[in-house]
Formats: sequence, C-alpha cells, structure tokens
Amino acid sequence: MDSAPSSIDPVQARNVYVNTVTLNAYDTLFSFKYLARPYEVKPNVAADMPEISDDGLTYTIRIKQGVYFVDDPAFEGGIGRELVAEDIVYSLKRHFDPAQRPAGAWLWQGRIMGLDEWKAAGSDYSKDVAGLRALDRYTVQFKLVKPYPQLVYTLAQGYAAIVPREAVEKYGREMGSHAVGSGPFKIVSYDSARIVFEKNEKFRQEPVDIYYEGYDEATQKDTGVEVIHGRSPPFLDRLEIHFIDDNSARWNSFTKGDETQFLLVPNEQVDSMLSSKDPITAEPAYANKYHIKWYLEAGLVFMSFNLNFPEIGYNVDPERERRNKALRCAMIKTFDWERRNESFYYGLGRIFPGIITPVVPEFDPDLSKESVTRDIEGAKKLLKDNGWTAENLPTLEYGAQAGVSQRLFFEQFRGFMVKIGYPTDKLVLKQYATFGDFSKAMSLSQLQLVAKGWGLDYPDAENTLQLFYGPNGSPGSNDANYNNPEYDRLFEQAAVMQPSPERTAIYRRMNQIAIDDCVAIMALSRTRIMMWHKDVIAMPDREIVGGFFMKYVDIDKSKSSALDKGN
Amino acid sequence: MEVLQFAVRKLIGGIPLVLGVTLISFVLMVYYGPDKTFELLGKNPTAEEIAEIRSELGYDRPFFVRYGEFLKELVTMDFGLSDSTGEPVNHMLGRTIPISLALVAPGFILGNLLGVLLALVAAYNRSGWIDKAIMGFAVIGMSVSFLIVIIAFQIIFSSSYGLDFFPVRGWNVHSMGDYVMYVTVPTLASVFVALGYNTRFYRAVLVEEMTRDHVRTARAFGISPVKLFYKHILKNALIPIITRVMFSIPLVVVSGSLLIESYFGIPGVGKITFDAITSGDQPVLKAVVSLTAVLFVITLLLTDILYRAVDPRVSLN
Repeated sequence: MDSAPSSIDPVQARNVYVNTVTLNAYDTLFSFKYLARPYEVKPNVAADMPEISDDGLTYTIRIKQGVYFVDDPAFEGGIGRELVAEDIVYSLKRHFDPAQRPAGAWLWQGRIMGLDEWKAAGSDYSKDVAGLRALDRYTVQFKLVKPYPQLVYTLAQGYAAIVPREAVEKYGREMGSHAVGSGPFKIVSYDSARIVFEKNEKFRQEPVDIYYEGYDEATQKDTGVEVIHGRSPPFLDRLEIHFIDDNSARWNSFTKGDETQFLLVPNEQVDSMLSSKDPITAEPAYANKYHIKWYLEAGLVFMSFNLNFPEIGYNVDPERERRNKALRCAMIKTFDWERRNESFYYGLGRIFPGIITPVVPEFDPDLSKESVTRDIEGAKKLLKDNGWTAENLPTLEYGAQAGVSQRLFFEQFRGFMVKIGYPTDKLVLKQYATFGDFSKAMSLSQLQLVAKGWGLDYPDAENTLQLFYGPNGSPGSNDANYNNPEYDRLFEQAAVMQPSPERTAIYRRMNQIAIDDCVAIMALSRTRIMMWHKDVIAMPDREIVGGFFMKYVDIDKSKSSALDKGN
Repeated sequence: MEVLQFAVRKLIGGIPLVLGVTLISFVLMVYYGPDKTFELLGKNPTAEEIAEIRSELGYDRPFFVRYGEFLKELVTMDFGLSDSTGEPVNHMLGRTIPISLALVAPGFILGNLLGVLLALVAAYNRSGWIDKAIMGFAVIGMSVSFLIVIIAFQIIFSSSYGLDFFPVRGWNVHSMGDYVMYVTVPTLASVFVALGYNTRFYRAVLVEEMTRDHVRTARAFGISPVKLFYKHILKNALIPIITRVMFSIPLVVVSGSLLIESYFGIPGVGKITFDAITSGDQPVLKAVVSLTAVLFVITLLLTDILYRAVDPRVSLN
C-alpha cells in the first residue's frame, strides 16, 4: 500500500488503509461480493440479509453460530470465545463513547433510537440502548429513528468491525496496535513499514461460490479465480502488506519479482506500460509478465467554492450574491477538465458533470456535459454581463497541503483562469504543512477554494450528494457550505427511501440543482490500474472499503515454481 | 574522583539545557505543530465531537499544566501512549531505536573512518591530483541529493533493472546473513553522502594541523611520515574529530535516518519521529525531544572527558 494505517482499531477505520487491515483481522455483519461489479452487499457474519419491517424502521439480523475470535490473553484461558450478538452491540456503542476516540459515529448519529441519548448520559455500557439490542445470543436488532436504507452498507465497513469487549477492556487504546478479531487472518506484527498476518486457523469453513460472488467469465476468466470455487478461504498461510510511500521503491519492489505481489500502478509508470489508452492496452512486455486490470475509482476529485465567503458565495446584498454566482459559473466554464485529465491522470480519468459518480447505479450517462465543457467565450460574457472586471474580481485563496503536485494543480488552475482575465495575483495558493492542518482549515471553513478527493463509503449516490447537504456544512463534509432549502428538502426526502426509480429521479434532480447553482467545479473519477504477478490468483480492488478481497487470494504454485526458474 | 565530581557538576548544569529544549519544543508543538484533533475525526464531525477529541487529547488544558505533565513524564521516563496507534511510547522507542542503530551504525562508523583516511591521503598529497580527485569526489557526494543517491543505489544494487543483489526494501532480519543483505545498500548510500562532508571537514582539520610549527620541525628532524601523521598530526587533530563524531551520536541514536528508513521500508525511530511530526503525535514527539536533550547532555559530558583523555592540557575544571 502507498501509506500506512495510523491505527488498526476499527473505531478509527476512516480511510482505505485502516479498512484494509481491519477487514482482514475482524469480521463485519455484511461485506461486499468479491467479484460483482457494480458492488453488491452480502451477509458475512450475518446468517442472511436483514429482516426489515414494513415501515423500514426495524432491522432484525440473525448471526452465524460457530464464529470464534482468535486466541488472545484477553480471553479466559487465552482461548478465543464465540462471537455473539452482544459483541455487535458493544462494537457500535464504542463509536458513541468519547474515551474511545471514535471517528465513525457520523454513520449512525441521529439514526439509531436511543444511541445519541446513551452517549449524552455518559456512555455507560451497562445501560441498554432501545434501538440497538441483542435479542438473544445470535440475534441483533436495530430500531431506527427514521428509515436508513444505507444501514446495511454501513455495517460492511471497517467502522462496524466486531470487537470483543474483553479485548477493549484489557488493551484500551492499545487496540490501535493490537487486533483481536474473528476475521480470516490474525495479525502477527504491525509497525510503520509493514503488517504481517497469518491465517486464522479458527476461521469458519465457508466454501466460495464464485457465481454467487458475481463471477463474470467474459472479464474475469483470465484471473484464474475459478480455482477457488468450492474451497474455503483464506487460502494464504501468511499475508504481508508493506507500506511503501515512495512510488519508485514500490515499483522496483514489484518488478523485482520476489517481493511485492500486488501493485496499484504509480502514475509515473503509466506511460511506459501502456501501448494504448483508448482502449486501455498494456505493452506486451508487461501483459505477458503480469496480470493487469483497470477500473474506475469509486470516488471523485472536484473543487468546491466555499459559499460562506461573501466574496464568492452568499452575501447580504442579493445583487452581489447574484454576481458571485455568475463568477463561479464563469470559473466552472473556464476550467479545462480535458487538460486536467491529460496532465495529471494520463487521460485515463472519466470526466462527468455533477457529483454522482459513474460507479453508482444512480449515475445518469445522458446528463448534459455543458458544465464540464470549456467555454471561454461564454465565461467572458458571463463576467461582462455581471459587471466583473480584472479590477473588481475578488482575491481568492486556494487551500492545499504542501507539496509539488498540489502546487502544480494550483498553477494549472490559475493558468486556466488567466484566460478569462483573472489576475494571477488574485488567485493565491495557501499551503498547509500537514494533512491535519489542511483538514483543520477545511473543517473550520477557512478556505475559499477547496480542492479535494472523495472516496465512496458505500455504492450509493447519497454518499456524495451529502457533500452539499446544508446541515453537513463546516465542520462537516459540505466544504462548500452550500445551503439550498430545496436541495436539503429533496435530500431528506430521498434519505428515507429505499432504492427505486423515484429515488433515483430525486438524486438526479439534486445533482442538477448543484450544477445549476455552480457550487463546485466537478468532477472526474480516476482510473486505477492494478498489476499482480501471474502466479497470484485474485481480482484485487481497493475501492469502497478496501482490502476485502484478500481472503480470496490464492497462489498458483505451479506458476510460482516456473517463475522461480526464470521461465 | 575528579572525573566523578566533574560528571555530577556537568549533569546538574545540563538541567537548564534540558528544560530549555523541552520548553521551546513544547511551545512549538502546542502552538505551531499539527492539530491531531482533525486527524482523529470522522467525515462529518459535530462541534461537540471536536470538543470531545480536544478534551481527550488534553488540548483544552492550560499550557503550563500540560508542560508540567511533560516534565513529570520526563522524570519518570513514561511518555504514555501514542495518540495515533495507542502503543506505549516507550515500547515504540524500545522497538525502533535498536533497528535504527543497527541500520545507521555501519554507515556512521565507515563514513567517519573512511572520511579520516581519505582526508589523510588528500592532506598528504595536498594540491596534487590525488587531493583534487578526492575533493572532487567529496563535492559530488555533497552535491547530489541524498534522495537521488538512495533511488539510484536501489536501482543499481537491488532492482531487476540493475544488479539485483540485495532486497529493494524491508527489514526481515533473523540472522547475520539477513542483516548484511538488508543493511548493505542503505549503508553504501549513507557512506557515499557522508564521505563528502566528512572528508572535506577532516581534510581541513588535518591541513591546519600539518602547517603548524611543531609538524614542520618534526619533519625537519626526519621523522617518518607514518609517525608524523599518527603522533604529531592525527593526535593533535583529534579534538575537532571527537567533537564532530560525538555530537552526531544523539542524532544517530534517536533520529535514525528518516530518508533511509522511509525509502527502504525500515521501521526505525526516524520514521516514527517523522510520522509523529507530521501527524502531531505529541507523546512520541515529547519522548524523542527529551531523549535527544538528555543524550546531548551526556554527550557533552563524555566529550569533555574524552578531550581530557586525548589532550592532558585540558582541565576538567
């Protein structure tokens, strides 16, 4: 991986790096099917999909019997006990206990009956929560304040990984470096350079049905995953994940042949390894030697205008607010997504209008491309019609974490804006030494222009549409601090709806509102290219929750020995 | 007895130094360092959650209360748990410092020994082509970025594009053979860069010593070059050499080598220090700062004692 997880405690599973580790060391109630694209959720520790009451407010989930935690001194006699429904209740309660320093409460806040009140009353684990109960040893029930169709997705995330209470009580905050789970692997060692797993010998026997997992012979036959059909994972005795920040070290380690087996191809290597970008085709030298697959990320990159600033957003003067909107629209028209794609994403990214990404089912492929098509003359006309001149254009600060690539992003952005007469000295780069500082500035609404990437937490457009939901304004994820009553009303209406054509129509309407209001310059999804050695049988994917495929990875030893002999 | 009294005096005299270093460092951490709060928060935090995390981190307490706790931790040498991983800080240091020492020591020793050796050769052949060649090499070592050297050495010695003799990265050491495999390329890279600085410095020291009257006189008496170098030049040049070597030791022990550790994937103290700086992990930073300050005080003491050992004219008073 290109970075190390800063913690391996599920309460801190806030990025792909932590998720990759927690989902291999711990279990979750649900997970994603290994091979199905678009992503489909499936039972994991849950015995089946939940029973949902007609009003959508009660979820009853039966869990499998015979699921055991790994052996650990935290347990009586050091022997891992059976995972029971109370463990699920306890694990979710941890997110509402400030002493655990949790990061995942936002997924369930205001959703589960009594949970917020439980926290307000002091997070006393001996007290019950009305909406989160173990009905018996193997049944857990959620009672919701209002329908929450994404609940099952949230229970597939690292945040929802199931931890035993004994371990938390024994290790406390050391859970950040010591895992006690029931996942396919157990952690042997963890430091800033690598994490080492060994097969969890107590992991339940569940033969893989590749057809249930979404196997598509047309696109996946060459990966060789058919050989795992009918066998019980995990297949690896030992799994090492190395954290290699530097692209060249990662590439050298991979091409060496006996070190790194999987690789998310660094940008610098894309040109040399592809013979064609459309369609994407690898050079024979690489195609013959490695498995190579590419897919569109479950996420996007975009740039928000922070409407809290009267210079560019909301203003007490309605006339100025109208002119501000015209300015934002002109800047959107001026942004050259094609150039951005060519310059930084090797022309492999997918440009799309709005905030609904191509990987979710609600994406509208027929939506007008006007908002992502450069139109300098149109932008100039907008500025002129609304009284903007080089003299009265506002000075805007573009916030970014310090680094060469961020500066290049900014310089290109400024270069685009110069084309409509925006003075260079009025677009200022404000750099922050660390991601924490940048994140703080975003959270405190200190930046006027916020360029960021967003990885989907679950495959539902709600996850990106909430980026413009008014109540999620700073310090929440609505960095634009967009506040449109109509948009918010539609969001709240859709938020309680199960997937349906009606909900999709509402999502698309919200998307169009955000486009029309020129809230952000959006958007592009990057193409990920994965490479792995020929002797590795896998269909890797680090999107959505990251790392959930690891337990299905196997090694073709006949090919390994052939590779060892240099064939 | 004299040495013991001197040591006690020196250590007591070091207390203000440690206090000064810790105070300044803590001011920088608290007022200018990254705010860990926003690293720990989820995607849609509320103002209440921000306040809770700040309280958990102790950010809401007065500065001098927090600094007092820092001093207590320093005295007890118990720095608590990392704000990132939750691992006890002492455990982290105990795990990483030996790795960094094992990693950096060969390069440090070789870099200094070879530096002195090359400096002797260069000084002996002052202004000749050998001197110019050595100084040219030194300038290259100083001029080329350490980063470039690391990447180039990785490609040359470790990758499939080069000799492919050593691992590209990692630290899977269970035997002397493993150690040699993993430490060779990092050592070569650090020696290559260190030689440039060391050779130039030591040459300057030696040349200055060589131009002194007593050396000229000794040479006029026909003393052999080896004896001249060993007894009259090197011995007298030991003071600046000791100073340079000794003052590098605290950094070698505590800071490790960040670039080497990052690029070779070695879990040493340099890497955790860098991560702590960029993420605002104050317990780790406090431990590293304290340890460095204390080591500097001890180094100052040892350096003075060594001065006395190599030059009887130096008084411990």
